[in-house]
Amino acid sequence: MIRVENLTKRFGRHVAVDNLTFTVEPGEVLGFLGPNGAGKTTTMRMVTGYSPPTAGRITIDGLDLLRNPIAIKRRIGYLPENPPLYPELTVRRYLEFVADIKDVPREKRAGQIAQAITRANLDEVSGKRIGTLSKGFRQRVGLAQAIVHEPPVLILDEPTSSLDPKQRVEVRDLIVALRGRHTVLLSTHILPEVSQIADRVVIINRGKVMAVDTPANLSKRVQGGELVVVDVAGATPGDLRALLLQTRGVTEVSATQSNGIVTARVEADAESDVRAEIAAAVAARGWRLHGLRTEALSLEEVFLKLTQEEK
Amino acid sequence: MWARHIRAVMMRELRSYFASPIAYVAMTMFALISGFFFTNMTVYYVRQATQADQQIASVGQSPLQLDVPTTILSEFFKNEAFILLLVIPLLTMGLVTDERRKGTLELLLTSPLRPIELTLGKFLGAMALFGIMLLPTLPFYAFLAQGGAWEPRVVFTGYLGLLLVAAASISLGLFISSLCENVLVSAFATYGVLIALNFIDTSASAARSIWVDFIQYLSFFHHHVEFSRGVIALRDLAYFGSFVVLGLFLTQRSIESVRYKRG
Repeated sequence: MIRVENLTKRFGRHVAVDNLTFTVEPGEVLGFLGPNGAGKTTTMRMVTGYSPPTAGRITIDGLDLLRNPIAIKRRIGYLPENPPLYPELTVRRYLEFVADIKDVPREKRAGQIAQAITRANLDEVSGKRIGTLSKGFRQRVGLAQAIVHEPPVLILDEPTSSLDPKQRVEVRDLIVALRGRHTVLLSTHILPEVSQIADRVVIINRGKVMAVDTPANLSKRVQGGELVVVDVAGATPGDLRALLLQTRGVTEVSATQSNGIVTARVEADAESDVRAEIAAAVAARGWRLHGLRTEALSLEEVFLKLTQEEK
Repeated sequence: MWARHIRAVMMRELRSYFASPIAYVAMTMFALISGFFFTNMTVYYVRQATQADQQIASVGQSPLQLDVPTTILSEFFKNEAFILLLVIPLLTMGLVTDERRKGTLELLLTSPLRPIELTLGKFLGAMALFGIMLLPTLPFYAFLAQGGAWEPRVVFTGYLGLLLVAAASISLGLFISSLCENVLVSAFATYGVLIALNFIDTSASAARSIWVDFIQYLSFFHHHVEFSRGVIALRDLAYFGSFVVLGLFLTQRSIESVRYKRG
C-alpha cells in the first residue's frame, strides 16, 4: 500500500532522513519507533506530501506521490503531532470544513461526518467549540478529522504522546478499532505501546532503519525489554558477577561498585523470573541484599542492543 | 472542486473572524471614524454654502463655488481610503500566520487543496468582511439624498474605488502574512508598506524629472482619487487589477515554499 524507497531528506548539511526504505502492506498497522529527533515526523511529512523529499520515491496505492499529489492526498488521513484544529469552530463545523477540503462527495458529507463523530467517540461534544475541550477530546477530534473522508491510508504522528495515562488508553483503543479498515502508519517513542497496536515495527534512529520485525520478535531480541538490578553490600563486583552468572536463566551481568555497594545489572531469558533465585543465592553467601528490582530497557538500550546485534 | 474548496476556505475564514474580537473592533472603528468624518464634512460644507448664500444675497456674488453633494462625497471617499488603511492590516495579519502558528497549515497542505485555492479563499474571506464593514456607511447617502441631488454616479465609483483599494491592500497584507510567523510583525510590516504606498506621491513633488511620474504611478492615492471624483479610468483599473494579481500570485508561491522549511 505504501512503498518508500531510498527516501532522503536534508536540511542544509543536516541529514534528517537517510536513505530510508520500507513498505506498509494493505490493512497492516506499521509502528514507527524511534527516539525524539530520529526522523519520524520528517518521514511522515514526506509521505503525506507536505514536505518534499530531497531524494527517493514514495508510492501509495501504486501512485507516485510526485506525479499525483492531489489523488494521493485524497487517499490519506493525517494526524500531525499537534492536532491541526481551529479552536473557534465547533467540532461539527470543523469536520464539515475538513470534509469540504478533502473532497467528500456532498451527498455523503453528513453521513460521513456523523460516522467520524461516532467512531471517535465525540457524540457528547459535537456541538461544542474545540477550544473548550480537554486535550484528550482534542486528540480525538484530530483523529476524527483524519478519518472523515474514509481514507484507505492513515498516518498518525505520536497520537498519544501528549496525553495523560487514561486518555492515552482511550486513544489507543480507538486506534485499535481502526485496524482492518485502514492501512496505518503510526509513530511513537513508547516501546510497550507499539507492541500493543502494531503488526510490524520499524525502528529508526538518526534517520536510518535499525530493525524491522514483529513486536513479538523484537521483544525476544531485547529479552522482554527488562533487566533485573541487584544492589549488594559485602561483595566485590567480580564475585557477585560470578555468582549471578551461575544462576539459572541469567545470560549476562555487568557489575559496578560505588560507596561500598555493588550494583549488578542482570539480563535473563524472557521466560524465567530470576529474582527469587538471586535473592536466595546472595543470602546464602552471607552478603547483604540492599535492593532487587526490575527495570524496563530504555529505548536507547534497545537501540544499543539491536545495533550490537547487527554487528 | 475549485469553487467548493475556495468557498470552504472563505466561509471558515469569515467564521473565525466573527469568533474573535478583531472583526468587531475593526468594524466598530471603521463605522465610528467614517461617521465622524462624514458629519464633520457635511457640517463644514453646509456652513460654507450658507456663507455663499449670504454673500450672494448681500453682494450679489460669491467667490465660493460649491456643489455640496459632490464635494462632500469626493472628500468622504478620500478619507475612507485612509481609514481603510488603518483597518486592513488587522484583517490580514493572521490570515496565513495563524495557520502556521496553529499547525493547521499542515492540514491544509496535506489536503487535496491547491495553494491557489487556499489563497483565493482567504482573499475573498477578507474582502467579504470588508464588504460587511462598508454596510453601515450606506445610510449616509440616504441622508444626502434627502437633500435632493445625491450623485449616484459618484457614490458608485466611490465604492468601486474603495473596494479596489481594499483588494490591493488585502492582497498585500495576505502576502506579508504568508511570510511572517508572528502576527504583530505581520500587522506592522503591512502598516509600513501600506502607508508608504499611500503617501509616496506627496514626496513625488519633491523629486524631479521622470521620477515624478513613476513615483506617482505607484501611489494608491494617485489612482484612487479619480474614483472619488466619479471617474473610472482604465489605467487605474489596470493598476489595482495587476496589484491584486501580483499579490495573490506571490502569496501562493510563498505558501508553497513553507513546505520546504524545516520544522
